[in-house]
Amino acid sequence: MKLSLKESKALIGILVVVLIFVLMNTFRAEVKGFFYSFSAPIQKTLWRAGKRSSDFLTGFLNRRYLKERLNELELKNQELIVQIEKLRDLKKENELLRRALNLGLEKEFKLSLAQIIGKDISQDFILIDKGTKEGVLKDMPVITEEKVLVGKIYEVYEDFSKVQLLSHKNSVFDTNLGLAKGQGNFNILLELILREKTVLKGDIVKSSALGGIFPQGLLVGEIQAVKKNDVRPFQQADVKPAFDISKTGKLFIILEF
Amino acid sequence: MLKKLLISIIVLYFLVLIQGSFLVHFLFWGRVLNLTLILIIFWNLLENPKKYFGLYLAFIGGFFLDIFSNHFIGFNILILLGLAFFMKLIFRRYVEIPFFEKS
Repeated sequence: MKLSLKESKALIGILVVVLIFVLMNTFRAEVKGFFYSFSAPIQKTLWRAGKRSSDFLTGFLNRRYLKERLNELELKNQELIVQIEKLRDLKKENELLRRALNLGLEKEFKLSLAQIIGKDISQDFILIDKGTKEGVLKDMPVITEEKVLVGKIYEVYEDFSKVQLLSHKNSVFDTNLGLAKGQGNFNILLELILREKTVLKGDIVKSSALGGIFPQGLLVGEIQAVKKNDVRPFQQADVKPAFDISKTGKLFIILEF
Repeated sequence: MLKKLLISIIVLYFLVLIQGSFLVHFLFWGRVLNLTLILIIFWNLLENPKKYFGLYLAFIGGFFLDIFSNHFIGFNILILLGLAFFMKLIFRRYVEIPFFEKS
């Protein structure tokens, strides 16, 4: 079969384009890293501006709700102050007991501070400004200032890393109540909860060290709805993640735990 | 043409950055507004179906979306190019706009 000049040119053109795409995907990390390196300052500025504008707009639009919420929180705050006092006493007692038993102090995490510079609009991923240069490795846990679990490092570049959020569809991890699975779009489903276990709306979900991915006791979220079925051997529950990416600017990568 | 292409590259680059770092704070029905997609749809809608600039725009927009998303490079290019091609085809075959005939 002989090809005409026009057909040969088209075929060569297609082959060249395919080759370019294959090459770009082979060196994907380098190509993306190159673009991220000069886009990072612009992204940082845009992220801050977006956060500020969104905070202002949300505050303005929800002023009535915020007033009610303020009253609610003030009441809750008073309750918490009482609880804190009780806990302080317990802490003192605990310290005394520790000293008496000669136990070592709890190991703190080795952390690295990172700034969010972008979010993948189609999937549950975020981009942070720390990479291999700062000792970041794949699968390291990422938390907020309040020790709320956000996700884990998915891809590492020289100066940047991609974080897979807990709510990503491929995210599976153990919690104190059961197995958590990301559902995408900031939703988490809790599975394999024993039927005998009483799980209620508002219960706190914390990470478990069972899978070896995350440290124990980090806050994951709050139970929003429990799905019980007589046919199924286990219960399921919808979890509202405790992290809010739009309200968080800084994150911590746990380098060692 | 080259000047137009260069301006499009800069505009699309900033649109993708705005989309990924600014607009993520403003969700519409739980989703981030895809400005690149909107621009490409509008351009191909308003452009003369016999012209090809909308396809170039789809390619550039898709490339930048791929760079700043977690997909392989080519994923968004294929989607946006497919969409632009489809729009051109429909407009060429089934829609006749007198305005385009004159231009």
